[in-house]
Amino acid sequence: MAELRRDPILGRWGIINTDKTANIDDFEREKHEPKKGLCVFCYGNEDKTPIEIEAFRMPDTKPNTPGWTVRVIPNKFPALQIEGNLDKRGLGIFDLSNGIGAHEVIVDTPYHDKNIPELEIDEVRDMLYMYSRRAMDLIKDKRFKYIMIFKNYGFSAGASLEHPHSQLIALPMVPKNAAEELRGAQKYFEFRGRCIFCDMIAQEIKEKKRIVFENDDYVAFCPFVPRFSFETWILPKKHHASLYKYADSAEKLDGLAAILKEVLLRLKISLQDPAYNYIIHCAPSYSMESVSYHWHIEIIPKLTRVAGFEWGTGFYMVSFPPELSAQKLRQVKK
Amino acid sequence: MPELRKDPVVGRWVIIAKERAKRPNDFKKGFQGPPEGECPFCEGKEHLTPPEVYAVRSAGYKKDGPRWQVRVIPSKAPFLKIEGNLDRRADGIYDIMNGIGAHELVIETPKHISNIADLSQDQITNVLETYIQRIDDLEKDKRFKYVLVFKNHGWLSGGGRVKHCKSQIIAMPVNPKRVKEELVGASRYYEYHERCIFCDLVKQELKSKERLVCDIDGFVAITPFASRFPFEMWILPKEHNCDFSKSNKDNLPHLADVLKKVLTKLKVGLDDPPYNFIIHTAPFRKRKPGYWKTINEDFHWHIEIIPRLTKVAGFEWGTGFYICPVPPENAAEFLRGVKV
Repeated sequence: MAELRRDPILGRWGIINTDKTANIDDFEREKHEPKKGLCVFCYGNEDKTPIEIEAFRMPDTKPNTPGWTVRVIPNKFPALQIEGNLDKRGLGIFDLSNGIGAHEVIVDTPYHDKNIPELEIDEVRDMLYMYSRRAMDLIKDKRFKYIMIFKNYGFSAGASLEHPHSQLIALPMVPKNAAEELRGAQKYFEFRGRCIFCDMIAQEIKEKKRIVFENDDYVAFCPFVPRFSFETWILPKKHHASLYKYADSAEKLDGLAAILKEVLLRLKISLQDPAYNYIIHCAPSYSMESVSYHWHIEIIPKLTRVAGFEWGTGFYMVSFPPELSAQKLRQVKK
Repeated sequence: MPELRKDPVVGRWVIIAKERAKRPNDFKKGFQGPPEGECPFCEGKEHLTPPEVYAVRSAGYKKDGPRWQVRVIPSKAPFLKIEGNLDRRADGIYDIMNGIGAHELVIETPKHISNIADLSQDQITNVLETYIQRIDDLEKDKRFKYVLVFKNHGWLSGGGRVKHCKSQIIAMPVNPKRVKEELVGASRYYEYHERCIFCDLVKQELKSKERLVCDIDGFVAITPFASRFPFEMWILPKEHNCDFSKSNKDNLPHLADVLKKVLTKLKVGLDDPPYNFIIHTAPFRKRKPGYWKTINEDFHWHIEIIPRLTKVAGFEWGTGFYICPVPPENAAEFLRGVKV
């Protein structure tokens, strides 16, 4: 019998196939074939990108030249523009405003073919520290309410360039999914006086069946109501509403770098290098000290296609139950 | 300057990226799917499917035999099962119930045709009548709150290996989130304005004509103001009705005509792209009287068609915020111009 499970935060129902599970080999996998030609994110091609916003560099190297370890540039094809006013207005029953925002690309590493599982922990840590620095810088701009940092890995997850990179978007409003999550967590807090994510972490650590990996400060588990097979979340064990506010030095990020690398490596081995997205969920810029919201990273491997049913209902069918996904990921032999 | 536009019903924002605007032929045709094997949905192959639930068949011919026009069968790999109780329960902070529901396939033609756009208007009318028959029947089951009718056309939209054209019906014991959001949005608008938001939307679109694709016999097809996807289209009846299955049956041939026109425009104009369509209709209302108090007045059934020309990436998943590289005004102009 399949189970219908209700997400405690969003109230979203999911159908989880718990009896006859899909075979891992049935998932479609994307072949990562190296593209030939020039890579604009590699050393020596700094002049082929827009001018860099910030970079971690070796001593005595100049901006827009080689010698960097993490480099941030504006997106060449931004979805939103940085200059101008929002100019909110109506059009009959419709509402619109100018598309103001920031859209940056974070080049994770100078290595063209080293992704997070292959990087050293301090290299991953520097990338994460750059995320925080960029977010805290943009939060100063009063026009922006929400910063989202995410990564698309692999063509079917929406990546158009191969060189490891992440993206940052600063938005003038709190987007719908984030607003729903904040509201759900707020409601739970009003009712019980506790953070729902803290409660979830306590239950998961006690039950152990959905845990993927744990270190002193972080825990990774497959959520009780996933949208996708092998969906995995990483959360700090201590309550913090925003990674960006918390991470005011690179040293604070060692534990996070270690668990992120570990989880992505396990996904890579057990699913043969799947395409995936990860998204960092943080409280909006005006409530970075929230008692009800708890920042976390959601990793969603792209193993199936989203079809009419999911679009129509916001209701996901998952062929691989999270208990089994977590077990497979725990058992990975490295 | 890109524009941020808000969907007036559910409040979802989208970015209409005018600067990144793509032309129709900028979309590359994706993977078409693995080769097809023997088709179990063709006339004469009825023994390859589970026994039928319903069929439109010429008089005097037997169940699970040939001479049908539309045939409904249970899904061979249903996610939800028809037998059992819901047994709603808790597991710590989590909620669970048994996966009870119905999952049926509507085989839209006895011939091996892959796109519903290529069926005759009469045949599409048969398909629409079949949807209504099935919804009415499933409504009798007290466990169900909602019936979703949808179609996945093409491999990239989840259409599967067998290309024979079919749609799916899923009856569910809970109201899905997306449906609830629409119902809540529509009832809020009604509370404030005492008008149906969709009726207002139809009037505004007919007046401005910028996003109008076609307007025939009581139905309009538009590209929505806050389109999530390039060439997204909605078909709405001009006559207000919240429930597709309770709407005037005399209008079904007109709906079939509009559906055929717009899907043919999509096929011809964009080289047979993968797409999904979904019928958005009111949930079953008998179980909790008074729960959706003004639903008959505030909600308006419609069909949403989403061509799958772009990939949904981390940004969209994270935010529920979409970037649409074709302004709906350009999409409508292009689709109006496709001769069918």
